Amino acid sequence: MKFHWLAIAILAPSFQLPAEDKAKVATDFLATYCLECHDDLTQEGERNFYDLEFPITDEKGLIAVQEIIDALNLGEMPPKKAEQPDEAERAAAVAALSGQVADVYASLKSTGGQTVLRRLNEREYLNTLEDLFARRVDTFAPTSTFPTDQTAEHIDTLGDVLVTSGFLLDNYFHAADRVVEKALGQIGRPKVMEWTFKDSFRPGAEMSYSHKKVFNNRFLCLYEVMNSANHEGGYGGINEFKEGVHADGIYEVKVLAQAMHRDSHYDKEILKMDLSEPYRLGIVTGTGSIGELHHPQPIEPQLDEVTLKDGEPQWYTMKIWLEKGQQPRFTFPNGMANCRTAFSRIAREYNDDWPDDDKHGGSIVEARRIVLQHGKMPHIRISEVKLSGPHYETWPPEPQKIVFGEGGFKQANTGRILSDFARRAFRRPVEPGEMKQFTDLVDARIAAGHSPRQATLDAIKGILCSPSFLYLGEAGAEKGGALSSHDLASRLSYFLTGTMPDPELMKLAESGAILQKDILLKQVDRLLDEKRSDAFLDGFLDSWLNLRALGDQPPDRQVSGEYFYDDLETAMQEEVKYFTRDLIEHNGSITNYLRSDYAWINYPLAELYGIEEQFPNDDRYTFQKVGLTQSNRGGLLGMAAIHTVSANGLETSPVVRGIYILENLLGSPPPKPPDEVPELEPDTRGATSIRDQLLKHREMKTCAACHVSIDPPGFALENFDPIGRWRSKYPDKNGKPGKGPRIDASGEATDGTPFSGVAEFKGYLMKRKDVFAQHLAERLLTYGMGRRVEALDRPAVEHILKVTKANQYGLRTMIREVVVSDCFLSR
Amino acid sequence: MKAPCASPSRRYFLRSVGATLALPTLHSLLPNALGGSPALGATASETATPNRMVAIGNLLGYQLPYLFPEKPGKNYQSTRLLKPLEALRDDFTLYSGLDHGVKGGHFAVHSFMTGVLTMDAKGRPDGNISLDQLAAESVAGRTRFPSLTVGSESGIHGGCQLSWTRSGVRVPPIPGPKELFERLFVGEPASQLAKVKDKHALQGSILDAMTGNAKTLQKRIDQEDKDKLDEYLTSVREVEKQLQLKEQWVEVPKPEAPFELPGNTNMVEDLPLLYDLMVLALQTDSTRIATLEIGGDFEPKHLGITNGYHTLSHHGKKQENIDQLLVLEEYQFRQFARFLGKLKAIEDGDGSLLDHTSVLFGSGMSNANSHSNSNLPIILAGGGFEHGEYKDVPMGHHKVPLCNLYLSVLNRFGVERDNFGTSTGTFL
Repeated sequence: MKFHWLAIAILAPSFQLPAEDKAKVATDFLATYCLECHDDLTQEGERNFYDLEFPITDEKGLIAVQEIIDALNLGEMPPKKAEQPDEAERAAAVAALSGQVADVYASLKSTGGQTVLRRLNEREYLNTLEDLFARRVDTFAPTSTFPTDQTAEHIDTLGDVLVTSGFLLDNYFHAADRVVEKALGQIGRPKVMEWTFKDSFRPGAEMSYSHKKVFNNRFLCLYEVMNSANHEGGYGGINEFKEGVHADGIYEVKVLAQAMHRDSHYDKEILKMDLSEPYRLGIVTGTGSIGELHHPQPIEPQLDEVTLKDGEPQWYTMKIWLEKGQQPRFTFPNGMANCRTAFSRIAREYNDDWPDDDKHGGSIVEARRIVLQHGKMPHIRISEVKLSGPHYETWPPEPQKIVFGEGGFKQANTGRILSDFARRAFRRPVEPGEMKQFTDLVDARIAAGHSPRQATLDAIKGILCSPSFLYLGEAGAEKGGALSSHDLASRLSYFLTGTMPDPELMKLAESGAILQKDILLKQVDRLLDEKRSDAFLDGFLDSWLNLRALGDQPPDRQVSGEYFYDDLETAMQEEVKYFTRDLIEHNGSITNYLRSDYAWINYPLAELYGIEEQFPNDDRYTFQKVGLTQSNRGGLLGMAAIHTVSANGLETSPVVRGIYILENLLGSPPPKPPDEVPELEPDTRGATSIRDQLLKHREMKTCAACHVSIDPPGFALENFDPIGRWRSKYPDKNGKPGKGPRIDASGEATDGTPFSGVAEFKGYLMKRKDVFAQHLAERLLTYGMGRRVEALDRPAVEHILKVTKANQYGLRTMIREVVVSDCFLSR
Repeated sequence: MKAPCASPSRRYFLRSVGATLALPTLHSLLPNALGGSPALGATASETATPNRMVAIGNLLGYQLPYLFPEKPGKNYQSTRLLKPLEALRDDFTLYSGLDHGVKGGHFAVHSFMTGVLTMDAKGRPDGNISLDQLAAESVAGRTRFPSLTVGSESGIHGGCQLSWTRSGVRVPPIPGPKELFERLFVGEPASQLAKVKDKHALQGSILDAMTGNAKTLQKRIDQEDKDKLDEYLTSVREVEKQLQLKEQWVEVPKPEAPFELPGNTNMVEDLPLLYDLMVLALQTDSTRIATLEIGGDFEPKHLGITNGYHTLSHHGKKQENIDQLLVLEEYQFRQFARFLGKLKAIEDGDGSLLDHTSVLFGSGMSNANSHSNSNLPIILAGGGFEHGEYKDVPMGHHKVPLCNLYLSVLNRFGVERDNFGTSTGTFL
């Protein structure tokens, strides 16, 4: 349950009524206007004020009273149909109730909630490993077998929610084993090997016949994007090199490649690619031992990309990181959407192009051959690949230097190696005697017949499985509940960079200087200015707006092909990040989230939004700040990420979207529907529109109580289809877009403000910008502290809001104020 | 090339006749390594008779008009393909109308036990983990093998590909009776054994260090945090227990082989033997979960049919093609019935082994002639469910997903969760 307390500050002067009077005014008002519905029998909206007693003594009462204040201030209650208090009565009641609240705070000690010992989530765990060893780990994904972290209200940093199980702990062990062996296990410098591949490139099963017939397998060809529907020509792996490279390291890849048939005359509708841009040749990892090389694989980080020149084949060089057993696989990020259907259609629809004795007979196998043999199918053609490595600039490699010291492992240093590592892993000084269990581990492993070096590696694995590494906030609190300097450095670092404190933060933690407000604020600015704070954008926006759920319910490939071949899923997420990054950089106003006259988009998004003309240049994949000429786009409500994550891929529901807006923008999720009410089936194709259904729904009194606030924001978004395209009509019975009934996106907001569509609804939201600001501040605090914001944190939130408002609602100001707030600085 | 063998089962019968005869009753094979507990894997919280799960998938589906009876209900009229199962009528339920709502023909068959296409798996909370692997996670350490995947590695467009881990990696099947037999009955080489033991020893030492580190922490934190740390320590103990079990499995000799190491012949002739070895695996509690993929190496020529299986499956409604397909399919149903019969004949706890084994049989393909993945052929046998019926689940807009049935099977197995794949609830 959520509550607002914005009214308090404004009404502060009238707190001065005597206690008994305040109680009487409040009780009388409730009896006259509220109890008819909110008594212990009816409990409308699951709210019962019958038992409310003044003065308030517990948190439950506090929450209830704050809710009442909000509802009165916003004019939401009493409902329009009920008897209304006049303005004076309303103001008096608000004043009296606010006075009650103030009294509670005077009597309660504001210690704030506490963050329980919090486990690193998977994201933070991986980032921390990368920092500890100065090495990429996404290339072998040590956490791929981990159970998914639990979240609450999409937030993935909550200490009480992040549980630990035996299954997870066992996984920690195996992950630590792999990471340590990979980072530190290699003893001698691995031999540099060279491979040349040419003349024989065996493709996947689907292309094998045509490539053998037409090319005699002389070329490795790429036809389509990686996430096509059938996976026949999106990944160019080397089947002659299934075993992969012999050692981890940096490899040089030289590839002789040619951009074929950019002048192809085939129908753009069939190819579904833009021939006007130069081809891009990408590179991802592949592992021959785990599955087909021309199919997607669970581990395939993007390694590099080059743009191909037109004309004759040319050599391109890339340097990439490969793990033992992996090989490079080539990709075509701006290739066709689906080459299987393209081959098939071109063979059929361009049958006149083929020689008389080689007409297309209908089979897909022959279609591929005919088009490759006689036609002009756009593709990337690779005729030779040279691979060499691993190339280490120095030996021992970086991870070993960081852990063992410049000279590499020396047995005499074992104790220091372990305590240095533990200090970094535990993010605090190591206490005397604390290392004993790990030096014991070394002894046990040596006794079992292992080398001192191996035994040290094993002890490091032990450190990585320890609670001091896996949990945050364990260094212990100072007097009065304030965080210790080391815990504060960690909290700040995980908040803004999603990983362990860097050396500068560690130094400030050692000296205790980080506890000074001005130094702390300087660090906030430093971290926000660094690229590493992208981790904050990823983690926080996923947590606040549930962006990580994008793609859980993918749209229909027939209706929304571009979602796949233009990789709109990533673009949508990027848009929100670029937008937020821009606000942070310029301390822009958070009200831009509600309404803005610009958008941060790339070309595919501009196309999706129907505003290609406004996109400044041809650099399709760079995100740009684009000024908007009409007001349907702009703000979160104009972003496809929001429309898509609040739909199910195939259809939209005003109810689901309405709840999404209430929950994530206004911080007032409605209560769960009563059990006896049947779920509304979205059926926008029939004679009755969803609007009619909902209006009917609202005739039932129990439904109306909540739907009066749920439906309006949902209606306002009806013009956006399941992936955020603008539409003025629903799909017809067969799902054909734009052929069904006309959409009515008008409505009446909870306070009675009428709106005709999303543009005007944004105006209504702007009126409630303070409610939004409060919610955003609470989300930031929750995410940063790793615990929920509770009623007792109210003064801190209020202060954050006050300073933010005084600074034109700047987002950077808000983040800075969150960090220096009392609750962020406390356990 | 080998000549077609008209009667594979006779020769096979001779070499495996002793299979079940020679076997003692369940669990007694295992030494009393844990102070006389009946089964190594049994824990206090577990009932005396463990739950098992078996799933069998084929690549190209079955001829539905010869499988689905005309009318649903208890008194359905048996069909040509169901004939071999007639004696077991009360031990299984046949379903029509169930599927995963996926499309893609051969490219979608791999979703049979997951409900999710691999390309849609990224970002899902449990990826595209399959039914068997999710169940296996829940009983790790209790048996020597968390699960056994058996059968065809390959087939058109990748084969059946039944089993998937949560990280999106296919669990490859053990290809033939020879390899399966070796896993079940032949001990590991000493070098391998030493490596496994050393890894266990390392994990043991690390668990000690973890506990030590937690104890130092305990001294300086307050009550709420102590509760959280307790959660960690409980998990440590859980892993310790599992590790103890794993260590003991290394020490425990494998069950005595009931017959000599068989050679691999071909999928058709080996099918009964693979089923028998699966029975043995369950019977010896070597595993509680097994899957069988009947895929690309199930070649019609071994049943005297010259056309390829895939070619035939595009029967074009030609009766002669369909008749040949029915020969292949009837053979598969006969062997399946024989398997169920064996499970039913083995006593286990308060009933038969079949009563404690949920057996799923079907395909991710319904009609290979039209590459359809809707309305899949599904049989659920045993598991203590009520059976004896043909259920025709209504198709249409808000139909019941096949994953609902899977969720019921998971719950029966003992996995407590309220969703699986694309489920919207339980089925049974």
